[in-house]
Parts: sequence; structure tokens; C-alpha cells
Amino acid sequence: MTPPLYIALRFLTHRKRALLLSLSGVVFGVAIFICTQAQTQGFSRYFIESNIGSNGALVVRSRFRPRYEPLMVAAKNKASTGRRVYFEGITNPNEIMRVSRQFPDVISCSPVLRGNVSARAGFENATVDLYGIDPALHARTTDILHQLIDGSFGDFRNNTSAIIIGSRLAELLQTSVGDTVQLLAPNGEYWRFNVAAIARAGIGSIDSTRIYSHAKVAQALLQQPSGASMIIYKLRDRNRAPVLASRFETLFQHNALSWQEREESTLQLFLTLRMSVAITVSLIILLAGFGIFNVLTMSVLAKIKEIAILRSMGYRRRDISAIFLWQGALIAAAGSVLGCLLGALMTWGVSHIPIRLRGLLYTNYFLVTWDWRHYAFATLLALLAVFIASYVPARRAAELPPVVTIRGSR
Amino acid sequence: MNSEVCLSCEGVERYLGEEEERVHALRGVSLEVEAGSVHGVVGPSGCGKSSLLYILGLLDTPDAGRVAIETEAVSHLSDDELAQKRNKFIGFIFQFHFLMEDFTAQENVMIPMRKLGQLSDAQMRDRAAELLDGVGLGDKLRRPSRHLSGGEQQRVAIARALANDPRVILADEPTGNLDTANSGRAFELLQNLVHERGKALLLATHNPAIAEACDWIHEMKDGRIIDSQLRTTGS
Repeated sequence: MTPPLYIALRFLTHRKRALLLSLSGVVFGVAIFICTQAQTQGFSRYFIESNIGSNGALVVRSRFRPRYEPLMVAAKNKASTGRRVYFEGITNPNEIMRVSRQFPDVISCSPVLRGNVSARAGFENATVDLYGIDPALHARTTDILHQLIDGSFGDFRNNTSAIIIGSRLAELLQTSVGDTVQLLAPNGEYWRFNVAAIARAGIGSIDSTRIYSHAKVAQALLQQPSGASMIIYKLRDRNRAPVLASRFETLFQHNALSWQEREESTLQLFLTLRMSVAITVSLIILLAGFGIFNVLTMSVLAKIKEIAILRSMGYRRRDISAIFLWQGALIAAAGSVLGCLLGALMTWGVSHIPIRLRGLLYTNYFLVTWDWRHYAFATLLALLAVFIASYVPARRAAELPPVVTIRGSR
Repeated sequence: MNSEVCLSCEGVERYLGEEEERVHALRGVSLEVEAGSVHGVVGPSGCGKSSLLYILGLLDTPDAGRVAIETEAVSHLSDDELAQKRNKFIGFIFQFHFLMEDFTAQENVMIPMRKLGQLSDAQMRDRAAELLDGVGLGDKLRRPSRHLSGGEQQRVAIARALANDPRVILADEPTGNLDTANSGRAFELLQNLVHERGKALLLATHNPAIAEACDWIHEMKDGRIIDSQLRTTGS
């Protein structure tokens, strides 16, 4: 143990009240930071997981209409690029899927034929988002198997007149597994389907509108010439979705959308919320730092005689400085460890608080995320705040001329 | 003086204070302190005794003149190097003992040793115990310094000054805060150490009895040494 560390420890442990005050500020600051980040990111991550689990990490949809720029003369100082126009649907989905499967980032892909229709069950009506899917491919590409809360995927797969219906839509239409739901075709004809299963994605906008049927049946019902209006992808690394989307656009000449772009507004909302909470909680840590600054400044004033003694015995300026920096570092280290433990305990406690959310997200308990980065960032923030708080008193202590103190004590 | 000079100064000038309050504290002071001798500096308050001690102890720097430890001039040394010299070559004893209140007697004596870093923890403890035993505090090693009497605290300060076996001991009125009995005992202790272990002791004092017992007496007035007398020939 170095002499400054030894002396710092002794100084700290002999001022228990000040130590407790400084320590509690760091502990609570770190703990609250971790707990609030776990909550806000918990909701955000649940939304992302559910969204990607239902809609894929990447979607390829409408084909670009070709441009004829080579035939046009651009106006001076004006970019010739305008908004892109599309042809509805995918051209040659099987070929696009075959090529995209060659990409190492792609785990699987599934074609979807999508259209809006009216649904009727008993006396209830609703406008629904019909997803015509290939059951086997869709099960590989999405989390639909895990989303089923009633019924069986096998019953859906083996019966072309079967559908899977979103949980909130099922409540709205007052239907359950085994009931009949009628979907209105564009020609005014009602098609009858059996509810084989009920799915809960956990996102209100999906659960309250979506119905899955077999792709061929959906194509006939919607009277669509194209077999797919989009292809959804499951990726090995979801964060590579924007890069892959860009490559797919160039390669397939179809519009490709990553989940980050698709859910940009909601993600921004979550991010803003997280930032806002992080800033608020960081202020607590800064306040703790301010408390430590006060405690250490008072300590320098109280130990002015001891500093002079140490200097007279051969301790260098940087040794004196180190004594006060060590005190800050010890408070920060102990405060961070205890804060992380308390933060984990608080996060666990919060995750067991029952709430009944049925809006944007579906949950019965607070959603939290266990992420080591929250702990690392909170610790880093505490260390930084305490270092800044300790630096000025430490520097001041080091600059004190010992002879002035000794003369003053005579 | 002989060739065993371990601390000296020549033509030292020192001003204290600013502008109108500026005082010429030391005016061309020259002095040599050799090993195995006790030098007493006497004079009225404000004559510059303490200022001289702080400069010779490398706690303060002169505005002019030369200070040397053994034969090495210290004026060119950095703050860190001066601190190292203080740690290794000089032991300080102040009037108000200046112990670390939160530390025990033994821990106080160990503080300079920790800085020097030449002994293990166990060796430092043994040496501190030995030094405290030498000043009659062998039974109070673990007592917090604030729970010791004034005389005991000053004896701890003496033991601490000897912790790194320095060549020079500088004492600024070391008995000024003690009663006659404790004062005599503390001085006797220092005197024995100097003569037995070949240290050099320079002390500032107002106590005529102590001054009379020194090997050399330097009388100061208005920042100057006006008289230096050799009292004994033993050193």
C-alpha cells in the first residue's frame, strides 16, 4: 500500500459521518441511474424485440420504377434526383429470396402478401391487416410460434381455410379458437375462415389489426396478381439491417427498409425518454459529486496542519494531492460497487411491480433490461464526477505552502 | 569549524510579507552545523530564528544566499528533490509537536519511514517501537496521539524526527510548550542522541538553561547572527 493510500484510508475512516454522507450520494446516484436505465430500455427493447419478431429486421417491398435520367438534361444548380416512384409489390419474389439467402447475414426470409379487408364475426366488424404467409417460412423468419397464446400452429398450417388472429382483434370480434371469422373480398363476397390460433405480439397496433392466412388463399381473396407484396428477413445481426437494406435496394431495385428506419419515430420517442431520464439522474450523481467536493474541501481545511507536517517530513506535493484523490477514488469505488448492487436489487424489485399496460405495449409487469453497460456507464459517471470533485481540493492541498501553516500555528 | 559539516548556509537573505508589510527577516546569515554538535539559536521574538530554521530545513527558500546539505548546494533542486532531502536527511521538531491526531504514537513515528520506503511494515513497526521505547513511551505505542499528554506528544515528535535516522535535527523551540521538568528531559534526550549517534542538532530556543547547555550558541538580532560562541569542546 502506498503511503498516500494508507493516509487517505486513515483520514476517511476517521471521519465516518462525512464518509457516510459522500458514500450515500454516490450509492444512490449510481443505483437510481441503473434502475431507471433498466426500465426505460426495458420497454424500448421489448418494443424492438416484439416488432422484429413480428415484422422482421428488414423488409423488401415495392419495386423501383426505372428512371430515365440519361435522356433528361438537368437544370443548372439543381439536383436531378427526385422522389422515387414504385411499382406495387415484389417482382419475382422467389428469385429475390434465392439471392438474398446467399448473404451470410440472412438467416431466413418469408414472402408476405398484405392487404386491408373487413372482418366480421357475429355482430362485430373490424378493418384488419391481412398477412398472407407461407406458414413454414414465416415460422422460421418470425417469432409467431412463441406469440401464440391459444390454439395450435399445426392446425393453421394443415388447413388452408384457417387463420391466426391477433389477441386484441379476437377480443374486439369476440372470437376464440374454433370460431368462424368472415373476411370481405373486394368483389363483395364474404369468405369464411376458422380461427386456428390467437397470437399476441405484445404491440397494440399489431395485436389489434392483424390476421394471418395462407398466402395462396390471401392472393385469391385480395385478387392480387402478385404473390408477395413484401419479403421479411430474419438477420444474424439486427444492427446490420441498414447496411443490408442499402445493398438490397441496389441489388434488387426494390425499396428495402430496416427496422430502425421503419420504427424511427417510436425509437426516437424511447431514446428521448431514456436521454431525459439519464440527464435527470446524472444530476443526482453530479450532486453527489458536489457533496464530495464540499466534504473534501472541508477536509483540506481541517487537515491543513497535517498537510504541513507531511510536507515537512518529505511528502511531495503530488503525495499530498494523491491523498485527497485517493479519498475520492475510494468513495467512488465503494459507492459504485454498493450502488451497482443496490441498482440491481432495485431493478429486480421494479420488475416485480404489477402494471397492466394494454396500449402501445402489452405487459403485466414493469419491463426491465439487464445490461452490464448500464452498470459500467453509471460507474464511469460516478468515477468522473468524483474525480472532478476531488481534483480541486486535492490540488489546493498540494499547493498549500507548509511553512505558512507552521508559522501560523506558532 | 571542522570538515564534518552536514548543514550550512552562506549569505542567506529572506524577505517576508508583501508591500508595506514586507519585512527583511534574514540579512546575510551564514552558519555551519557539524555532526555531533548541538547548536542553539537565541534571540528575541521576530529576530529570524524560525525563518532560518525553515530555510535550513528546506521548507522555505531564501531570496538570496546558498544553503548546502553536506557539500551539495540545494538551490537548484526541484520541489520533489527537496522533499526527498527533507525525508532522508532532516528531522523536524516543532514547538507544538504537530502530530497526526488520528494516528497512534507508533503510526506517527512510522509516517516518515513509509515515505522513505526502505523498510517492510513489520520492520517499520519494530523501529517505531524501539524509538518510542527510547523516549520512554514503550508502553504507549498504540495510544492515539490526542490521548497523550503534552510532554508525551513532544517525545513522540522527537521519536518521529529520528525515524529515518537523519543526519540533521532541526528543532523550533522544542521545549517551548513544556513545563520545566519535561523541557529538561526532552532536551537531555536530544543532546544524548546527538552526542551518541553523531547527529547535528540546530535548535531555536528562548530557554536560557537550554541555550547554556548547547555546544554552540548563535545570537540573532534583526535578522542577523550577531554573535557565535563555542560553549564546549566535546564535539
